[in-house]
Amino acid sequence: MMSNSTHTLSVEMDSVHKHYGQYHALRGVDLKVAKGEICVAIGPSGSGKSTLLRCVNQLESISGGRVKINGELQGYRERDGSFYPLSPGQVSRQRRRTGMVFQRFNLFPHMTALQNVIEGPVHVNGERKAEARQRGLALLDRVGLAGLGDRYPAQLSGGQQQRVAIARALAMEPEVMLFDEPTSALDPELVGEVLEVIKSLVSAGMTMMLVTHEIGFAREVADHVIFMDEGVIVEEGRPSELLGNAREQRTQAFLSKVL
Amino acid sequence: MTKDDINELQDGRRPNAAAPCNVDVVQNRVVQRRHPGRWLVAILIVIIALQAGQGMANNPNFHWDTYFTYLFSPFVLRGVGWTLLLTVVSMAISIPLALALVIMRENENPILQGVAWFWVWFFRGTPIYTQLAFWGLFAVLFPRISVAVPFGPELLSVDSRWVVTPAVAAIAGLSFNETAYLSEIFRAGFRAIDRGQTEAAQAIGMTKPKIWTRILIPQAMRIIIPPTGNETIGVLKLTSLVLAVPFTLDLTFATNAIANRTYLPVPLLLVAATWYLFITSILMVGQYYLERHYGRGHDMPKEGVR
Ligand SMILES: Nc1ncnc2c1ncn2[C@@H]1O[C@H](COP(=O)(O)OP(=O)(O)O)[C@@H](O)[C@H]1O
Ligand SMILES: [Mg+2]
Repeated sequence: MMSNSTHTLSVEMDSVHKHYGQYHALRGVDLKVAKGEICVAIGPSGSGKSTLLRCVNQLESISGGRVKINGELQGYRERDGSFYPLSPGQVSRQRRRTGMVFQRFNLFPHMTALQNVIEGPVHVNGERKAEARQRGLALLDRVGLAGLGDRYPAQLSGGQQQRVAIARALAMEPEVMLFDEPTSALDPELVGEVLEVIKSLVSAGMTMMLVTHEIGFAREVADHVIFMDEGVIVEEGRPSELLGNAREQRTQAFLSKVL
Repeated sequence: MTKDDINELQDGRRPNAAAPCNVDVVQNRVVQRRHPGRWLVAILIVIIALQAGQGMANNPNFHWDTYFTYLFSPFVLRGVGWTLLLTVVSMAISIPLALALVIMRENENPILQGVAWFWVWFFRGTPIYTQLAFWGLFAVLFPRISVAVPFGPELLSVDSRWVVTPAVAAIAGLSFNETAYLSEIFRAGFRAIDRGQTEAAQAIGMTKPKIWTRILIPQAMRIIIPPTGNETIGVLKLTSLVLAVPFTLDLTFATNAIANRTYLPVPLLLVAATWYLFITSILMVGQYYLERHYGRGHDMPKEGVR
């Protein structure tokens, strides 16, 4: 590996394993996502795509291997071949580098859209409320929700809720955005508006890891597609290669079902 | 379509005002259905109520003159004050304690889990009357309370009688007993919150204490308040057991004392019942406002959802 590669790499996973009790959900995943790169993960249900993302922002602790963001080991300090777990405070500080958007939005139902967006800046980063409001309103505008800041999540459609969730993640100014099937819970006519917002982030040069079943969208935005099955990356490459003419039989079988 | 939607359409305030059918929408003139059965039942109930009321008002056995003599007597009013105070202070102590018990039980530390489990097991499993009697005997059982280094020198020591007064014993008994029930209610409330809420909070870098105070507690409140209101009314009535301490300033003791002196138990039971109803009503008003506050974001109309 070239010595300057640490400066261009954003997320780096090095033979990552994850066990849920006895169940071996990730079986040695190696993955490199460069800064500004869009990495899309596809694969059948239960193949470990969500687990992969959740290991990046430490919602799950890994049982083997290393996860690095911008060259910094996540969750542990490594000394003399031993791993020392970081304190909860240090872990949450590391998590602020990543933003996550969930399949089921997970907005805070007792807060308005704007309050959802400024919750992190104000109560995690200690930003002044007036400034956070200004930024929050601008972010809502950016995701096409100007004027809806006072609505509670229950008063918004699924597509609008997911866009608030994206604004909430962006408000923390993350270096990497993680999207776990952001449109899977939406009615078909609402998928487009969320994909538009994600596309605008792509144009803005955001680094992203995205799990999706929208193969057409993957082809359009991805720099790098990985196909996962049974806890391993079966095949990876540029979208034209992997989605156009996959080498592995498992990939071909999956694509023939979803395309 | 709700009435607001229709108004919006008529005003042409809808975003897509160009769409057809928004100009001359006429509401249907709906003639209310008639409900003769409901009226019949209502009239019957009113007749029965009037007769029962008359039967009580004119019944000499109720001794209404005695009722009105003592309803606002200073002795009774002081009892009302103490009963309200015992209820409110006991709840004010048991709510944070119960919350701490829940947090201890959700903690990874098995010792904290064990202590919380034992606390609930003990206070839920023993009668409140017995607990109150023991609190009353505290000063006899432990004459001095001292702060000391374990197996080392004593740092501070006071006479128990100055600390565990009857009022303190009554409040301690009522509130510790109540924590056991409240913590079970709270636990159910927190369990009802989707795990995704904690994950979303973690994902924006929140630490555990912040997640509890900003995300979990405000959401659990909505579920917790109605049964906690019930518990508060329950504690209000449990205050009549503080005689076990013995604490003798509460409402039930006051009215019983008068009844024993006048040999007229019925009007004084009515006095007590009136005041308990009055306090319950005050508590219900408080509950209404709390529910409204913590219900925000829920049970709201979906306006203009596209
Ligand atoms: N918290 C958990 N406990 C136990 N098993 C889990 C848990 N989360 C996921 N799994 C299992 O791990 C595997 C991978 O899950 P997941 O990463 O959610 O797959 P995908 O997102 O690709 O559908 C599945 O078999 C799932 O049942
Ligand atoms: Mg998944």
